[in-house]
Amino acid sequence: MEETTLNSPITSCANQAVYTDVSSLLQSACEDLREGELIHAENFNLFAAMSALEIMDPKMDSGIIRTYFSVDEAIENGAAPVPLSLDRTTDVQRTIDIMDHLVACEATWHNGHSLVQTVFSCIYLLRTERTSSHPILHSYCRVMRATCHELISAATETQTNEEEDIFTMTHGLPLKGDGDDKCLSMLHAVDETVSRQLRAARSPSSKKRILEDIEPLQSNIDLEEGFCKALLCRLRFRKHFYHVLTCMRRPQGKGLESAGKHIVTCLSELDLMLKWEEFLKLNNFCGTDDNGRECKTTASGCQPVGFDSTLNSRLSAPTPPRAIKLLSWKQAIEYFRKLLRDLEVICSLTLDPILDNLLHFIVDFQKSRPDLVARTYLQLLLIQDGKLYGRNCIFDVVCMASQLPDSAKRHSIQNNEVVVQLGQLLLSLLKIICANTAWQRRKLGKILQDWRIIHVQLELAFRKEFGDLSSTLDDENLCSKICIHILNWIEELTYWIGSRFLMLGFDLELYSSSEYCMVYWYIYVILIKLAEKTHLKMISSSESNRRKGKKKKELLRDTLKDYRVPPSVSLLQCQIYVAEGLTLMLAALRNEKQTFQDPGLFNSEHEIFMQHFGLLQKACLPDHVFYSSFKEITSQASLPTIAMYNCFKDAQRIAKELRSSFSTDPVRMEELRRIEQVAERNDVALNVICRLGKLDPSLNVYFEFNHHPYFAIAVVKRS
Amino acid sequence: MESKVEEEASKSMFECCDIEYISYGGEHHLPLIMDLVDKELSEPYSIFTYRYFVYLWPQLSFLAFHQGKCIGTVVCKMGDHRGTFRGYIAMLVVLKPYRGKGIATELVTRSIKVMMESGCEEVTLEAEVTNKGALALYGRLGFIRAKRLFHYYLNGVDAFRLKLLFPRPESYFPDSLMTEGEPNYGHEHLEDDYHPLS
Repeated sequence: MEETTLNSPITSCANQAVYTDVSSLLQSACEDLREGELIHAENFNLFAAMSALEIMDPKMDSGIIRTYFSVDEAIENGAAPVPLSLDRTTDVQRTIDIMDHLVACEATWHNGHSLVQTVFSCIYLLRTERTSSHPILHSYCRVMRATCHELISAATETQTNEEEDIFTMTHGLPLKGDGDDKCLSMLHAVDETVSRQLRAARSPSSKKRILEDIEPLQSNIDLEEGFCKALLCRLRFRKHFYHVLTCMRRPQGKGLESAGKHIVTCLSELDLMLKWEEFLKLNNFCGTDDNGRECKTTASGCQPVGFDSTLNSRLSAPTPPRAIKLLSWKQAIEYFRKLLRDLEVICSLTLDPILDNLLHFIVDFQKSRPDLVARTYLQLLLIQDGKLYGRNCIFDVVCMASQLPDSAKRHSIQNNEVVVQLGQLLLSLLKIICANTAWQRRKLGKILQDWRIIHVQLELAFRKEFGDLSSTLDDENLCSKICIHILNWIEELTYWIGSRFLMLGFDLELYSSSEYCMVYWYIYVILIKLAEKTHLKMISSSESNRRKGKKKKELLRDTLKDYRVPPSVSLLQCQIYVAEGLTLMLAALRNEKQTFQDPGLFNSEHEIFMQHFGLLQKACLPDHVFYSSFKEITSQASLPTIAMYNCFKDAQRIAKELRSSFSTDPVRMEELRRIEQVAERNDVALNVICRLGKLDPSLNVYFEFNHHPYFAIAVVKRS
Repeated sequence: MESKVEEEASKSMFECCDIEYISYGGEHHLPLIMDLVDKELSEPYSIFTYRYFVYLWPQLSFLAFHQGKCIGTVVCKMGDHRGTFRGYIAMLVVLKPYRGKGIATELVTRSIKVMMESGCEEVTLEAEVTNKGALALYGRLGFIRAKRLFHYYLNGVDAFRLKLLFPRPESYFPDSLMTEGEPNYGHEHLEDDYHPLS
C-alpha cells in the first residue's frame, strides 16, 4: 500500500477553519491510487473508517431520505396546517392525536433515542409561534418544550454518563422559547375554557349556554362532553407532570411533599386518558381499522398530522440516520405510570442522614430498574452543593456512619486535605450507585482501588495529626476514636462496594453457570470480611455507649451477659452460609460428576478467575486471598462431606431466629424470607443428589434464580 | 461490532470436511465478505471499514467456502489498547443454512490462533445480549462476559463485551499457584504455538 501524506492548507490551520478547494488534490489522488488502495494518514483510524459515508447510499447518506428540504418547505406544502382542519370536530380530533403522538415520542426519547428523532419530529414544536392562534395546541406545545428543557437541564446537572448522553443532546434545537416560562398560565387558561365548555355540555338546557355566551369546543353536540374530557386529562397530565419536575428540583427536598401530590394527580389523569380511549377510537376521522392497533401511537388509532422524522436528519449527522421504532401510545402510558411510581418512591425518602439506610434505599430502588429520568432526580435530591440532601455536611455523614459521638462532628480534622478527599469519594460513590447498573458496576470496580488508597492515606494523615495510634489505644480519647472508627468504616464500606460489584454481575448476566462456583466463593470471602467490619463497628459503638457512667467491673460483666450478635451481622452470616453452601455444592458436583466446568481451548480457569476478579485482586480485597485459595477449598469438596457439614441448615436456622428482629423493616424481611427459601430448597436438593447421585448417572442438576436475584437454587431432574 | 452465528440444528446437505477455509487473499475476496456481512448483519458499514480491517490485518481474516461458494467469514484487527496488545473480532458471519456445524468456531479459532502467535495478551469483541448462539460459542472458547454495555446498539439493545485472556508468564499473577501444579494450565496442543509477550 502506498503511503500518502495529506499536506493541504486545511490541516495546517484547522483551528481557524479556512475552506480550501481540494478538487485538484482529489483529482491527482484518484489518478495515483488503484482500486482498493487507501490513503494512509495517522488520524485515519477505525472510528474514521466507520464514520466515512458513501454518498447516495440510502443506508448511509442522511440527506437522501427525506420528504422536505426544510421545515419551511414542509410548512409551505401544508404538512402542519393551522388550524388543523376547518371542520372543528376534526380539528379537535387531530389536536388530540398530536398530543398522543407527542407522548409516545417523549417516552421513546426517555428510553434512549434522540430528541431530534422523537419529540422534535413535530413541526408545530419546531415553529411554536405559528400555533398562537390555536390556544390548545399552542399551550400544549409550549409546556411540552418546557418539560423537555427541564429534563435536559436536570440530566445535564447530574452529568449523565456517556452511555446515556444521547438524552441530553439537543443538536441546536429550539428548546427554549421566549415566554415558555408562562406555559403554565397558558395551560391554565385553556383548562378553564374547556372546563366551562364541559359544564355547558353537561347542562340540560342549551339556554344556559347562550346565557353564558360559551362557544362549544366543536360542532357535534353529542360528542362535546367526551372530547372535552379527553382533552382535559391530557392538558392536566402535562400541567401536573411539569409541576412534579419543578417541585422535585427544589433545594433540600423541600418540594417532595407537593411533588408527591402532583404525582397522584398525574396517575389519575393517565387513568382518565385510558378511560376515554374507547370513545376516541369509536369517534375517529380515519375509520375503524383494528390492524396493528397495538402499535398505534394515538388513542384514536389515526396517524397524526404535523410530524416528519426525516426533517432533522441532517442535524444528527455524522451518524447515519436509522429508522427508529416509536413506543405505542399504550406503551407510553405504561412507561409514564412506571416513571411516576419510581418518582413517588423518591418522594417518600425521609432524608435520613444515616448512610447505611440510604445505601439500602438506593439498592432497593435500583431493583425496579428505574430509567434515566428517575435516577437523575434521585441523584439531584441526594447531592446538592456538596452536601447530602443539600443540608448534611459530608463529614457529619461520615461521623454518623462511623458511629462516632456528636462531638466528633466539630473536630478540626474535617479540614484535613485527606478527610476532604474522603468526602468527595463518598459523594462520587453515591452518584455511581444512582447510575444504570451496567455503568455502575464498571465504576464500582474502578473505585475499589481509590477506597483502598484513601484508607492508607488517612492512616498516615491521622498519624501525622495525632501521633502514633498504637500508643493511644484508649478509646476515651476523641482523636484516637475518630481514627479507629473512620478507618474501620472505610474498610466496611470498601467490602460493601466489593459485594455490590460481585452481585451486580448476576443482575447483568455476566456469569455463566461454569463460573458460579468461583463467584459464590468470592462472595463468600468478601461477605466474611464485611460482616467482620460491621460487627467491629457495632461493638465499639455499643461499648462506648455503655461505658458512660459505668465502672470497669460492671462493664465486663454486662458485656458478657448482654452479648448478642447484631441482626444486620446475622443477616450477613446467613448470606455467608448460603454462599459457602453453593460454592461447596458446585465444587462437589464438579469434582464428582464432571459438570459445571468448561476447560477452554485457549486458556484455563485461572485466566477466567483473574478476569472476573482482577479488580478485587488488584485492590487486595481481601488480603491474602488468591486463586490458589479458591482451588484449595474447592478441590477437596465431596458430596458426603458437604452433606454432613450442611451450610444450608445453618442458614435456615439463623434466618428463623432473625425473623423477629426485622419485623419493622419490610425490605430486609423480604431478603430474609428469600434467603430462607433458597437455603431450604438447596438443602433438599443436596440431600437428593447425595442419596441418588452416585447411583443414578442420568441425574441432571441445574441452577435457577427464581427465589433470589443472586443466590441460585439447585434443580434436580432426571434427563 | 457484530456476529451472526447462532447454533441452529439444520439438516445438512454437506459434510463438514467439504468446507474449505482460506485466509484473506486480496481484493477479489472483498466483495464476498461485504456481501455476507451486508446480508446478515444490521449495521451498514462503508467500504472503508472493510478495507481498514482487511488491508491492515489480512492475516486475521478468513473465509469459509462450500463448493466454491463463500458461506462464512471472520474479520479482525489487533493493536495496542491502553498499554495492552489486544486482538479484536469485528465481524463473524455464517450463512443460515450452514450454521450449527462448527464453521464459525473454526473461523474464529483460526483468527485467535494468529492473534496468540502475534503476541496478543487478550482478545475482545461485542455481542448482543440476546445473541445466545454467539455467547455460547465464545463461552466455549474461554471468553468471559467482562462488561455489559448499556444501549450499545442503535436498536437500543445492550451488548456484552466478551474477553479472552491468554495465559501469561508466572510472574503476572500475584500467587504462586503454578509451582503447586495446575493440571489444566497451558494446553499441550497449544504449547508449540504459544509465544508469550516478551
